[in-house]
Parts: sequence; C-alpha cells; structure tokens
Amino acid sequence: MGFDHANRGIGIRDHQLILPSVVCSTHVARRIATSVGSVTFAHQHGCGIIGNDVGGITQYFASLAKHPNIGSVLIVGLGCETIQGNELAEKLINENSSTKYLIIQESGGVAATVDAGIRFAKELSKEYPSAIAEIKKLKIGFDFSNSNNFSNELAEELRRLGHQVILASSHKNSGLNFSELMEAGVHLIISFPQEGQPASGFPFIPTITIASASPLHQALIRDFDFDQDSSIQEIIGFVIRVAHGEVSKVEKLDIGEIIAPRVVRSV
Amino acid sequence: MLQGWYAVSDLTGFKRTDGRWGFRNYVLIFPLHSALSSLARKIADTSSASVAISHDWSGEIDSDFERIFKTLAGFAANPNNYATIFLTFGSEVELRIIEASKNIGIDNSENLNVAILGSMESAFDTGLDLANKYCAAANSVSRIPAPWSALHLGLECGGSDALSGITANPALGIASDHLVELGAVSVLGETTEILGAEHLLAARALDPEVGKRIVETVARYERSINYEGIDMRGAQPSRGNIEGGLTTLEEKSLGAAKKAGNAPFTGVLEYADPAEKPGLYFMDTPGHDIEQLTGFAAAGINIVVFTTGRGTPTGSASIPTIKVATNSPMFQSIPDLIDLNAGTIADGTHTLQEVGNEIFNEIVAVANGKLTKAELGKHHEFSLSRMYDTVVS
Repeated sequence: MGFDHANRGIGIRDHQLILPSVVCSTHVARRIATSVGSVTFAHQHGCGIIGNDVGGITQYFASLAKHPNIGSVLIVGLGCETIQGNELAEKLINENSSTKYLIIQESGGVAATVDAGIRFAKELSKEYPSAIAEIKKLKIGFDFSNSNNFSNELAEELRRLGHQVILASSHKNSGLNFSELMEAGVHLIISFPQEGQPASGFPFIPTITIASASPLHQALIRDFDFDQDSSIQEIIGFVIRVAHGEVSKVEKLDIGEIIAPRVVRSV
Repeated sequence: MLQGWYAVSDLTGFKRTDGRWGFRNYVLIFPLHSALSSLARKIADTSSASVAISHDWSGEIDSDFERIFKTLAGFAANPNNYATIFLTFGSEVELRIIEASKNIGIDNSENLNVAILGSMESAFDTGLDLANKYCAAANSVSRIPAPWSALHLGLECGGSDALSGITANPALGIASDHLVELGAVSVLGETTEILGAEHLLAARALDPEVGKRIVETVARYERSINYEGIDMRGAQPSRGNIEGGLTTLEEKSLGAAKKAGNAPFTGVLEYADPAEKPGLYFMDTPGHDIEQLTGFAAAGINIVVFTTGRGTPTGSASIPTIKVATNSPMFQSIPDLIDLNAGTIADGTHTLQEVGNEIFNEIVAVANGKLTKAELGKHHEFSLSRMYDTVVS
C-alpha cells in the first residue's frame, strides 16, 4: 500500500514537510510541525553560503521537497537569507502545486508566522488529500557504512524479489549516505552503521537499522530493529510491513539529523 | 558620567567556581552526537525549564575536528550554564570533550551515557529527572553584585540595511565604548563583514602587533575563500542587504564596524577563544549569524547585542541575545522578535546618544534577569562552524 503524491511519485508514507529554507527559521518550522503533526528538521544552512554551495544546498532542499514520501510542503523562510524562500517555493510550486511558503519578515513576527503556518499546513492537507495507491516494487536504499556478507546477501535477496536496490557506500558516516539515498528518492532505508556509530535514520524515510556484534550496538540493541543473527527472511518480512505502515525503531524515536553536503566554509 | 548610565553596584549575576560570571542559570541538555539531538530536544521540551541544542556532528575526526571540539567544549562550559547534561554514547572523543569542558569550568555536569542506560527511552527518563533536579536547584541560587569585568559582551549584526551604519550600529558602539571604559569585555566578530574596513580597525589597535593581526586575520579569511576559486567581494553585500538599501561591500563593512564604537582594540581572538582580560577584541568568525553566535557562546561571552535591519528570531541556548532594530517600520512589523528600536534616530525623535544609553541600560537589565524576546520565544539556534567540506567522511 502506498500514497499517490502526484509528481513526487508514490510513497510509503504520507508526510507533510515543513521545510525551513534557512537556519533562522528552523525553530518556527518546528513549532508549526509540532502543532500539526508534520515532519521537519533542524539544519544550519541557507545563509552565509557561497560558490557551489548556493546551488548545491538549493538542490538539496528541492530534493527533500520532491521526495515520494512527501504529500505536501510548507516552506518557511526568514526573508533576507542567501537562499530565497520565495524563489525556491516558485520553483517547487511549478513542480508540485501542493506547496506553499511563508516568510517570517513579511508575516508579522514569530507568533503570527506560526499561526499562519498552522493554517497553511492544514489547508494543504485539506486541499491535497493523498489517494491510496499500490506499490508493487519498492525502491530500497542501503546505507553500507559497514557492509559485509550479510548486508550483501540481504540486498541481493531484495533485488531478486524485484525491488529496486540502491547502495550507498561512499561514506563511513551514515548521515552522508542517507543524504545520497534521499536524493535518489528511496522509499525506505536499511542501515548498517559503523560499529562505533548508533542507530539513526532520516526524518521522513523509514529507516530499518541492523546492529553489528560491536559492544556499542549490543549495548543499544533495543534501539535497533535487528542484528545479524536475524534471518534474511525475517528482515524482509519487516521491510514489507514497514512499507505498509509499521514504524521502525528510529522512526518511532525520531533519531537522525540531516547532513546537507557542503563544500565551502560559511562567509 | 552621562546621565542615565547605571551605577556600578547595579550589575548582578552568578559567580562560578572558576571565577567567571554568568547572568543566567541555564540547564543545558547537550548532545555530543547528532543522533542524540532529538533526545536532547525531547528532554528539554518536557522538563520544567531546561534548554537544548541540535547539531549534525557524529564524532568525525577530520580536518575540522579541532575547531568542532573547541566549539562544543566551550559552549557547554559557557558561564551562563548552571548545569550541563551531556548526552553521549560513551566514546573516547565524547569523554575528551567533557574533560576539556570541565577544564574550562562547569560547576555542575553529568555524562548521561545512553549505551550504559541501554536505550533512548531509558535515557529520556533518566535525563528528564536530572534536568528537573538541576532546574529546581538553579532556581534556588541568588544573584550577587557583580563587577563590570563579569560582563563579556558580543557585538553582532545580521540582515543589515542602509540604516544599520547610522542608527543601531553606532548606538551599540556608544554602549560598547562605555562598557569597555568600565572594565567589561566587548567582542566584535564577523571577519567577512569588516572586509574593506580592516585598516580602520587596525589603526585603533593598542599596539602595532594587534593591528597587524587584524589585517592578517581578514586576509587569511579571504585567502581561504579565494582558494575555492570564489571572490568573496562578489558575494557581499548579500541579496538581503541590497534589498535593504546597501550598495557596496565597503559601505556594509564600515557600518558593521561601528558596533565596536571608538575604543582601542586590546587583542585578536581565534574563533571560540575567550578574552583573558578586559577590553575590546576582534574575533575571527564567519558572518553567518548562528556560527558567529555559537562561537561567541563557546568563548564564554555572556550577553549579545544583535542589530538587525531586516529582523531575525535568532537566539542562543547559552546567551541572552538582545535584538535592536535599525528602522522603525521593521520594529513595528515584527514585534515579538526585536527588543529595542534604534530607528528612532532616523525618525528624529531620539539622538544617537539617547539610544546608546538605552542599549546600555537594556544590557544591564537583561544581565540582571530581564528576559529577551529570543528567550521568551525559546530560540536556540546552533551551528557548527566548519572550515572544510562535509562530504569527505
């Protein structure tokens, strides 16, 4: 079972994203998201950026807003930032009409922006209800921070079942692999974090975490969905249940901050 | 002495064991791994009064490690924090940050090792109990009279407009000069925003070495950006600044520098480094508002005045941040973001000196416990300042 999100594609979650276009609006975005039950995230970008980062961060935000698990997007900007919320919004509205934007400096301050944001968010949900749609084949991302025979076998088996499997293995930091997988539009992620790294996920992409035998992972085993003593079939069963709405551990706990790739220091 | 300045005995605060002073008794929930950020927020949101920050560092030991290490250790040890509850997975690097933080000075701290507690949920329960315990204890501490040297003021501007350099910034300069005269520390940051005005600041250095360092610090920043094949002078003033009426980099920089008044410069500080004695300093920080504010907090600065032409909600989990509007229309249009209005200078209803006095009095009032708009709105933005790219680890 999935949700028809028009040009964004068919997702396995029906999230509304409150997207702060700059660090200065992350707190206002969170207040709106908390009030209406939407997803958001903290970040430190959108202003004081220069060179390739301007296009890179804009593209990154656009990828977030275009993700298939997202049903509608409310962009919250400050007004004077490098990445102009209204320009980002215009670009995104052209691609998906279920997008609105708000600017703090033009909305009468924090309380007024939060009130307007709550109203906009509710309007978006009402105006763009998501129809139920069927997903036959999932797009599954693998965070291969710590890949081994077991992870390879799991990926191979999912591929054999006809799902599209995308491997991210260029980083040891799961957060950077998650960013790549988000940009690829995966429905869900299966994460094999490094032995010294905890279970973590991406804000609106259900992430299934698999522990290694490391002391840290075993100490925190309750925050992982599986370890490598689990059977491949057991994990695949859970993947399908998560695709149908069951919530993974890090999804329930909301663990994981986004890492937006940057190449130049701030100015 | 000018009429309207406060008397020395009016400043009150909390003296920490290491001799530094705080003007708040914040209980800070401080994650030392990005995956603990949501836990920190949940504890702070549920507890009676604690505050939390979020960040995206997951223990990477790369070219930025030293800078991030210093930022985290210093921030956790800001003297406005009555207590800091570190959330960790018990890694060696996390323990080293806590150790460094204790060496700077924290009276009350706790390492909540989630790996020992066994899960996020049990860590939440333990963390919430601890936070509430510290909040209650923080409430029972009384203020005592503080000397002017207790005050470490940070000077910041963001979203500047054409009035910044003639209203709020020079008015803040008057307040800063007076505080420096009384024996406080005042710190100007934003290296990228004094570009083109560095020679004027260098000419005010107490000794020629300090002047040379001011010029060299600006040149070093520019080199690091040029190295990427980018002309920083082409990116300033920013689009928001241009919409606010600023025309050139020099105009913006000359206006930005006015926050530091006319006092001589005692020294130059690296990012997040503390001032060891009273006086006016220049700190090498990005213009990025939150990276600057985070660096100020890590350096033990305990009050910030932030002038703004366009308006911003910005606040810090460890520093009361007083926002001053450069123009009246903005002040009136976003009433719950801004504490003071320096636009009255352009309106002709107040003189620069009067607004300077007003800012000075507000600094003292806020130091003594008056809550800023950012504190009331619980704005706790946080950014790690990195020199290098994030895509290699």
